[in-house]
Amino acid sequence: MSLPDAVVAEIDGVIAAVEHHKREAAVDVMYALQRHYGYLCDEAMHYASKALDMTTLELESLATFYDYLYRRPVGRYVIHVCDSVVCWMFHQDSIFDYLCRKLGVPPGGTTEDGMFTVLPAACIGNCHNAPSMLINGRFYDRLTAERIDAVLAELRQSAEEPVRCK
Amino acid sequence: MPDLIIDGRPVRVPKGTPVIAAAESLGIVIPRFCWHPALGAAGACRMCAVMFLDGPVKGLEMSCMVPAADGMVVETFHPEAVTFRRRVVELLMANHPHDCPVCDEGGHCLLQDETISGGHALRRFPGRKRTYLDQDLGPFIQHEMNRCIHCYRCARFYQEYCGYLDFGPMQNANRVYFGRFASGPLESPFSGNLADICPTGTLTDKPGRYKSRRWDCQRAPSVCPHCSLGCATVALSRYREVVRVEARENPAVNGHFICDRGRYSFGYAASAERPRQARADGVPTSMSTALALAGTRLGGVVEAFGPEAVAVVGSARSSLETQTALTALARAGGWRGPAFFADRTEQQAVAAALAALAGGRARSLAEIGQADAVLCLGVSPLHDAPMLALSLRQAARAGAVVAVADPRPATLPLPFTHLPLAPDKLPGAAALLTGAEAADAAAIQRALPLSPELWPALERLAPAFAAAGNPVLVFAPALAAQAPADARFGLFPVLCGPNAAGAALVADADAPACDDLARAIEAGEVKGLVLAEADAAALSPRLAAALPGLETLVVLDHLPTPSFAAAKVFLPTQTLFESGGTLCNNEARLQYAAPVAPPGEPVSRDGRGGHPPRDYARKLPGTDPLPAAALCAVLALEMGLDMPALSFAAFTGVGPEDVAPEGTRATRLPAAPTAPAPPSAPPGQGLVVVRDDALFATDAYGRYAPLARAQAPAASVVRLHPDDAAGLGLADGEALTVTVGDRRIEATLAVSAAVARGAAVVPRLPGWAGLPAAIGPETLRRRQP
Amino acid sequence: MQVETPLVLLKNRHLGRPATFEEYRAGGGYEALIATVGKRTPAEVLQLVLDADLRGRGGAGFPAGKKWQGIPAGYVGPRYVVVNTDEMEPGTFKDRILVNTDPHLVIEGIILCAYAVQATEGVCFIRPSYESDAVLIEEQSQVARDHGLLGDNILGSGFSFDIHVHRSAGRYICGEASAQIKAISGLRPNPRKGGPRTSVKGLWDCPTIVNNLETLANLPGIVRNGPDWFKSLARSAGGSGTKLFSVSGRISRPGCYELPIGTPLREILDHAGGMPPGRVLKAVIPGGASTPFMPDKYLDLEMDFEPMKRAGQRFGTASIMVFDQNTCLVGATLNLMEFFTRESCGWCTPCREGLPYVRHLLRLIEGGQGEEEHIGMIKDMAQAMRSAYCAFAPGAAEPLLSLFEYFEPEVREHLRQKRCPFGNPPPAMRGKACGTRPPTFGPTPCPEDQCPI
Repeated sequence: MSLPDAVVAEIDGVIAAVEHHKREAAVDVMYALQRHYGYLCDEAMHYASKALDMTTLELESLATFYDYLYRRPVGRYVIHVCDSVVCWMFHQDSIFDYLCRKLGVPPGGTTEDGMFTVLPAACIGNCHNAPSMLINGRFYDRLTAERIDAVLAELRQSAEEPVRCK
Repeated sequence: MPDLIIDGRPVRVPKGTPVIAAAESLGIVIPRFCWHPALGAAGACRMCAVMFLDGPVKGLEMSCMVPAADGMVVETFHPEAVTFRRRVVELLMANHPHDCPVCDEGGHCLLQDETISGGHALRRFPGRKRTYLDQDLGPFIQHEMNRCIHCYRCARFYQEYCGYLDFGPMQNANRVYFGRFASGPLESPFSGNLADICPTGTLTDKPGRYKSRRWDCQRAPSVCPHCSLGCATVALSRYREVVRVEARENPAVNGHFICDRGRYSFGYAASAERPRQARADGVPTSMSTALALAGTRLGGVVEAFGPEAVAVVGSARSSLETQTALTALARAGGWRGPAFFADRTEQQAVAAALAALAGGRARSLAEIGQADAVLCLGVSPLHDAPMLALSLRQAARAGAVVAVADPRPATLPLPFTHLPLAPDKLPGAAALLTGAEAADAAAIQRALPLSPELWPALERLAPAFAAAGNPVLVFAPALAAQAPADARFGLFPVLCGPNAAGAALVADADAPACDDLARAIEAGEVKGLVLAEADAAALSPRLAAALPGLETLVVLDHLPTPSFAAAKVFLPTQTLFESGGTLCNNEARLQYAAPVAPPGEPVSRDGRGGHPPRDYARKLPGTDPLPAAALCAVLALEMGLDMPALSFAAFTGVGPEDVAPEGTRATRLPAAPTAPAPPSAPPGQGLVVVRDDALFATDAYGRYAPLARAQAPAASVVRLHPDDAAGLGLADGEALTVTVGDRRIEATLAVSAAVARGAAVVPRLPGWAGLPAAIGPETLRRRQP
Repeated sequence: MQVETPLVLLKNRHLGRPATFEEYRAGGGYEALIATVGKRTPAEVLQLVLDADLRGRGGAGFPAGKKWQGIPAGYVGPRYVVVNTDEMEPGTFKDRILVNTDPHLVIEGIILCAYAVQATEGVCFIRPSYESDAVLIEEQSQVARDHGLLGDNILGSGFSFDIHVHRSAGRYICGEASAQIKAISGLRPNPRKGGPRTSVKGLWDCPTIVNNLETLANLPGIVRNGPDWFKSLARSAGGSGTKLFSVSGRISRPGCYELPIGTPLREILDHAGGMPPGRVLKAVIPGGASTPFMPDKYLDLEMDFEPMKRAGQRFGTASIMVFDQNTCLVGATLNLMEFFTRESCGWCTPCREGLPYVRHLLRLIEGGQGEEEHIGMIKDMAQAMRSAYCAFAPGAAEPLLSLFEYFEPEVREHLRQKRCPFGNPPPAMRGKACGTRPPTFGPTPCPEDQCPI
């Protein structure tokens, strides 16, 4: 499966922006591939390795270090539930449990329809709105069971079929 | 030179020495896992914590991270430090499996030592142990991640020290995993060192796995015979079989490490094919019968044709003891030889290379790591002398400029400039970079008018070399004439065998070479030949072809070479592991390899050392071989010759008793013989044949080591420059038939711009030895399906 | 009883949107830059910052001017400014508020710093959950560029400097300066100790100044109004400037408040509306997760670096997390240890192995399976964690040790009742370290999760 021109252009662009220090683009390139493939499959890692002149091991040692790069399939929406101490104080536990039960997945699991993955996240910097979660870059504040239901329903409405690595 | 006090004892160390090393100089070994003298401090394991009571640093600190400073008062046994170190061991053991009984590292494990010495005997942590899945890292290193204590030694060695990036840490926190992107053989030719530096059983020596506990092995300091560098090794033998070779520290040569060729090519000694029994006319017989027969046959030749009709051939792989004994034997009998080299040119070249080292010009491998500019001339470091590549990397890490002028494609784990030039162009290139003044663009273009693609690189390199304060020229003996007079340049020849320097020192200046003897055999002047630890086919195809013209051929060896098969009388010799011996390396450094075990058929193959009852009275099998030098003496005795008592001190200026543990440089170097003429372009058309070593199984011993042979490339490859391939109408990847004499070899063509124009790079294997100096379309042909 | 305090950093705060370039300019924005670039020498700017005694706002409180002085005099070649917007300290969100309030204040601050150290390139290191901040900085720096305030030849002075955003992929340890530089360089972000400082050899081996974003946002004010003005803002003797306090937890109006440095905790809590009805304060964590619990006896302590240090407390990032009497501090500490365990870089033993060790024991205690000996074991290991490679594990040890210093009876109550006296359920194995590799190898995937990170 070859990459669409737009993805190739994006990757070439981020590398060109840091031409003297290609390595700086490593995370951005992996982000771009992750957006395309849905996660960093081996194919994506090999592509990044060639594009960046870094070995797959070097990239793997970065991809597996960071928590916003996924080396296993994830859902269309990755739900980062903040589990740091302030959210915990506001019964983050029960919200986490509620999400897992609601979606029928264990922590870290992905729903069968490929829509949602539930992940615990380190403090997402939204403590004054605890409990809080982050879905694909957007904060959801002061969560309650009702609010979670509404958010999930809304996201289900707008989902497209994700691109997947074969 | 800071002065400090450690455990109440004053010590003065060079500036920059970490406290852990300062303590070691007092004999105080502070516990450590991540610190390694070659890798420096990482501060990861926290095991080397000591208490700083006074001085610029105070409190509990890591002795590896703190450089020794004036006024420091350090206590290694301070209760706070002891308690902290105990906690560290407790933490490491919280996840380390209790599988010591089945762990290959058990008994020589640093973690085991520190756990026991730290008094951590009872587990109080109630949690479960972390587990990992392992990878297959190839034939040399066994992976057992559960045992990992995350000292990062492996990753630092592999990535930083060696420059390979296919193995390293992944993941974070308590999930950190050392491995590859996917299972597969490690790419580094130095990967075997991982087993040595890993402080636990995470990375262990795979070929030696389950063979023996280390302390049950017979162990002896040895010297690597797989190239000319003479790296220090430890040979480990168990049940009449060398089961493992480890790196031994020699700060003047290899430092702490060895290459994988040196580590994994030992199998020739215990190989099933190794001839261990004497033979007479191809029939196994006793040693005494064979010796008597050899004496009779050679005596017959002497009687019929005179002593000049007997010749002796030795080789660059024999020890100085053997080479000396052969010389004594030849002198006693008035025979020709011994010849050690294929032809006079080669012999003169090696002698000239050694002669150039006089006057303090020789550099050691360790000193190359400190050079600021290195030119490798006609040397492909990774293949001709693998550990040279590691030294070059250390130089490059410190900022040195490295250039490799060589017709063969070169890959090195460091930034370097490759100048792919045919042999006849190398002297010109050398002149550009070794002059006192930087060559200007015009000079570069004049010297290499046909290689404009190399001009920019040379223009960059020339000023760097001219400005270098401590440059080194690494050169092949054929280019000895290019050693610059400029005393700034240190010299480092790379020779053609583990004791090639010894052979050049022992050989008379007017000694015949193999080609001369071949001519004499062809002319009917020589009728008897003693071939000692030398394969005529690999050494001199002409000599091999002349062997049938002999009346008698006496072969002394421990390798099953074609010459062994052709022998009329065969006398089995001992290997370096069995007899010990002295080797003289490329920088004329004499080093002694101690015997590790007497010869014998390995118990594993003999099959009779198993469970009792067994026959204790029988003679141990395979114990016939004798040291080649001893066989020479017995043969002289058989023939009634009066062999002079000769020591290699007569040739090297250094006697056996003078050889220091780190080696001693020969004090008698050849008196500057006429350096051979530099390589010239072959007359007429054709491509110059350049022979290339592989990492494994192209050296004389490695070819007979099963494990090394298994790593050799499956197919032979001929490499050409794209222009030359086009000229021959051949394309990359094509199947070739190569005609060598009357034989045909199948090979694959690889086309690359990294090959010099006008050169055909072929494997350095005996089968290819018969190629002429230059070849053309009649030799390289497309294979017909 | 609230006192009106001057707003410096947040004076352009608008509900729900950042201040525009025009709004910032109207309030005197970029005047400092215009009065500086090409008019003052870099050394003069540095002196202003030194005189103002501006201390780093990222947690350690190192004087910014002193850090800048670390660049070798006469160094020729690129110099970098790295703007640390990683802000992953639990309880901290001030930088996000600041960027979203007045992006140009931040941008002007970065340029002033670059001018003072003569940097050529600035890198804003932004954590993944702050993607909107990354976009905002990219947009607004383009506005600044369009006005000739950023990029080549700033204001015709011949001084050129530009910034770009580096998007992080997460992990708390990237907030540490040397780790951040490695992260930008595409290397594993293990902190580096020993060897030259980052101001000598940092990004791409060039001199690099890593400063917290809030630190730099103070520069326009200092340059425009002078060091004396800046010092006069503080309430504590020897303090300087105002400070953004992130207040969260059991408090009536959690949020980010700009108050003079040295404001006592009691007043800060009042600004945040005080305790909610029916709640009684038990403790706060005053400066993010790496600072100790501060019991209510310190309510009148001046919140500034030195006074807190003297009281054995740490100012940190001034992120005040409020715990009330109904909150189990064993549970809270366990939560912090879960965080630190997961975020460790895995370099040194006390951190990589010590944190899971104490976490396991805290799980047992919180779940009612604790034993008396576990208390000693935790204390042992917390002590050992203090001698780790970087400040990460020692930071984690702070709340842990203070739990035992101030609240050991609460811990023992867990042992006595064999359950959490606050009725918390036993801790699930949530947040457990789980594999990020395809399941063919790597850490054994835990049966209860298939976590893809």
